[in-house]
Amino acid sequence: MMKNRKSNWALLAPMYVFTILFVALPILYMFLLSFLTRAEVWGVDFTFTLDNYKRIGEPLYLNTFVESLKLAFLSTLLVMLIGYPYGYFMARMSAVWKKRMLLLIMIPFWTSALIRLYGWIIVFRTNGVLDKLLMGLHITEEPLKLLYTYPAVVVGMVYSLLPFMILSVYSSAEKLDFTLAEAARDLGASSFKAFWTVSFKLTLPGLLSGVILSFIPSMGLFFIADILGGNKIVLVGSVIQEQLTKGRNQPFAAALSAVLMVLTTLMIRIYRKVTGTSELEGLV
Amino acid sequence: MKTKKWCFVYVGVITAITYIPILVTVVYSFNESKISSVWEGFSLKWYAELFQDRDLREALINSLILAVLSCFFAVIIGTSGALGMYKKKSRLNDAVGYISMLPIMIPEIILGMVFLSVFSLMGLPFGMVTLVIAHTTFCVPYVYSMVKARLVGMDKSLEEAALDLGASGVRVFFDVTLPLIAPAIWSGVMLAFAMSFDDVVISIFVTGPRVNTLPVKIYTKLKTGVTPEINALATLMLAITILLLIGAHLIGKKKNK
Amino acid sequence: MKKCMTLLLCLSLAVAALTGCGSETEKQEGKIGGEMNLYTWDGMFPQEVLSGFEEETGVRINYSNFDYDEDMLAKLEETQGGDYDFVIADDYIIELVIAEGLAQKLDTAKLENYNNLNPVFMSQFYDPDNEYTVPYGAGIPLIVYDPALTDVEITGYEDLWNPALEDNVAITANYRVINGIALKTMGESFNTEDLSVIQAAGDKLLELAPNIRVINDSNTQDYVVSGEVAAAFLYTSQVYTALNARDDLEVVYPSEGLGFGIMAGFIPSDAPNAEAAYAFIDYINRPENAAKCFEYIGYYCTNKAAEEFISEEMKEMIVLPEGVAEGEIIQNISQDAEDLHAEIWNQFKSACD
Repeated sequence: MMKNRKSNWALLAPMYVFTILFVALPILYMFLLSFLTRAEVWGVDFTFTLDNYKRIGEPLYLNTFVESLKLAFLSTLLVMLIGYPYGYFMARMSAVWKKRMLLLIMIPFWTSALIRLYGWIIVFRTNGVLDKLLMGLHITEEPLKLLYTYPAVVVGMVYSLLPFMILSVYSSAEKLDFTLAEAARDLGASSFKAFWTVSFKLTLPGLLSGVILSFIPSMGLFFIADILGGNKIVLVGSVIQEQLTKGRNQPFAAALSAVLMVLTTLMIRIYRKVTGTSELEGLV
Repeated sequence: MKTKKWCFVYVGVITAITYIPILVTVVYSFNESKISSVWEGFSLKWYAELFQDRDLREALINSLILAVLSCFFAVIIGTSGALGMYKKKSRLNDAVGYISMLPIMIPEIILGMVFLSVFSLMGLPFGMVTLVIAHTTFCVPYVYSMVKARLVGMDKSLEEAALDLGASGVRVFFDVTLPLIAPAIWSGVMLAFAMSFDDVVISIFVTGPRVNTLPVKIYTKLKTGVTPEINALATLMLAITILLLIGAHLIGKKKNK
Repeated sequence: MKKCMTLLLCLSLAVAALTGCGSETEKQEGKIGGEMNLYTWDGMFPQEVLSGFEEETGVRINYSNFDYDEDMLAKLEETQGGDYDFVIADDYIIELVIAEGLAQKLDTAKLENYNNLNPVFMSQFYDPDNEYTVPYGAGIPLIVYDPALTDVEITGYEDLWNPALEDNVAITANYRVINGIALKTMGESFNTEDLSVIQAAGDKLLELAPNIRVINDSNTQDYVVSGEVAAAFLYTSQVYTALNARDDLEVVYPSEGLGFGIMAGFIPSDAPNAEAAYAFIDYINRPENAAKCFEYIGYYCTNKAAEEFISEEMKEMIVLPEGVAEGEIIQNISQDAEDLHAEIWNQFKSACD
């Protein structure tokens, strides 16, 4: 027993040390920054203030949070609908195909995100690949002007977040014993019922971590909206970037980031309460 | 058990869609024009420029080293952390697990700027060391959460049985636990590698004068415009990856015979 | 798992081998040697010039990059003016760098080619006595439009507001520049600190929103070249790229007055190898080298002596036309004014959607 506890600490040590030193400390520093005032030229003055948080209450900034939440919700939902079946089916493939698919789905994501987005621009742009295809098939009569619209941004978001969902669902569904579901079916349950009562319940942790892994970055992602949306949707991330660069206002940017962090955490907590997946305690 | 045909069809269609922008990139890497949205004819000039660009080559190598190292550390930290927390639940563990997820929760630019200040206060020299530390912070969450999700509801009795039979803790880990969680680790590494290999913003802040990474080189052509050279690079890397995969596959087949 | 890890390592090794890694720094007598850490955006020098300098001096150039000027300032603040030997950045940030004591005074006696520089681009607000900087490229944002796609004859910023251009205009993403053109149409300065004037310009800018199709800073010229939009407001190098791709596009020097920007280089206060930096400044300002540089980056040539080495067809694009030098540079303004600009910008962007 004694030995067991010791080995457990050995397992936890790297995580504890690394997280405290290189994550907790920098984040604490960020919180500290958010209560300070900006200096004349660069950096901060050590004068305590709550103004940075008060400023977030202005409709202009509140609105960027609403926009970010809206986009994150929509993207995560679509990612879930598309990615879950993919990961689930992948887990049911033969061992060789599993390995192949895992690489096949990741290869596109090893090239730069910017390059991939430019690829989408060429597809979506006026008289681009998609327009030519649709008009060639006589589905549409004239160019759609899809680029720099909300749907283009959503496509870009879903595309970028998809692997998080697929891989999460896959890695938890992979351990499933599919004979269980088959047994249920043999006992007279319908295909769907067998899936719902047996497989779905068992892959829920994977789905949950997939949702979290997609939702978390989607709140802060803004360069997709900038590139595919032509910068016309203002998200929290781009305000933070602007305040840090042109605005040279580190404290305000820190306050915005802190609120974003709290908001994201809150959303995930609510999500967990609603879905009743408390066994995943600790995963945010 | 037979996988139904339509499962394959669904997976196939989605996979094909994810390759659309990549294929466009490949095609446009042979474009004569500097403007990415206008086709002017076939040319290999971007490949020629690519091979002349010493900085870009060095940046590519740095990026690979960085991604591999960051993934390596993320696997150690994330996997052992998830295992340790799975074995014994506590409020403190939950808190640390939560904090480890924060780096992917806030925009990179603020994280980069905070890292810059904190690393400087710690006296760390800017360069590969700070890059690896910074990248590891956002690679850990992927490995950690994947392994964590895999462990939930996993049968503890296997491990206990092995321990009861007298196997040492280390052996149990390598013979029983690791094979069980390997798919999750591998999934985490795949994501972490992609994130590290593509990071610009954090890298700009924490790198030093001697180490440049590939995405930084690509994204900072702000003043003169991004050129199709990067399409050529992406195509080349895609080709290498696929060749290596085919090679590995053939070798594996031979062994199996 | 193991196999996959091996694969990953193989991949990296293969790429390394394929691209041939190797960093040879040769030291020869009479040469400066060592390393020079160059810090600026990527793509600011042709490889030919960088290699030529390395060969001649035996100095190895480490070319590292930033994207925003402010990132560079942050880095210099943290390293207290150390680590980097030569930095090129935008005018307004250099004013701050100098104010923070992060740049060192230049000893122009060490620069043989100093007199080649064009005085039009010197003695500016950020360095009135030319103590710290040498200019390297200048820009004037201009309007480029496709006469085939619109009947509007564009002569100034005001024409971008024309309802006939609905959803047909691309602009850059620098808010001081874009808010600035609204100020210009009202006959005001880019640098006004009068909040009511800035607010009035903001109100006017909102009326531009229906015409905006895309706001983007990088490769903005692509939109007008590919026909996605009829008109675009572009930075100099983008104008240059657009015209090189399609000569049927029209360039407009807006009648309300021009914006002007200068990039300049300086040696940080605690540069490890200032000697190499001096040699580099001198090397890039040799007329023939400077000509190569400016033809490559597509900004206005800031080296007077280099002008005769620039090819004829490029001359009209990168040699500053007479009389244009009256353009106004965007400078640092009070925090309140800057904040208001940022707020207006976000309102404007949301209104464009």
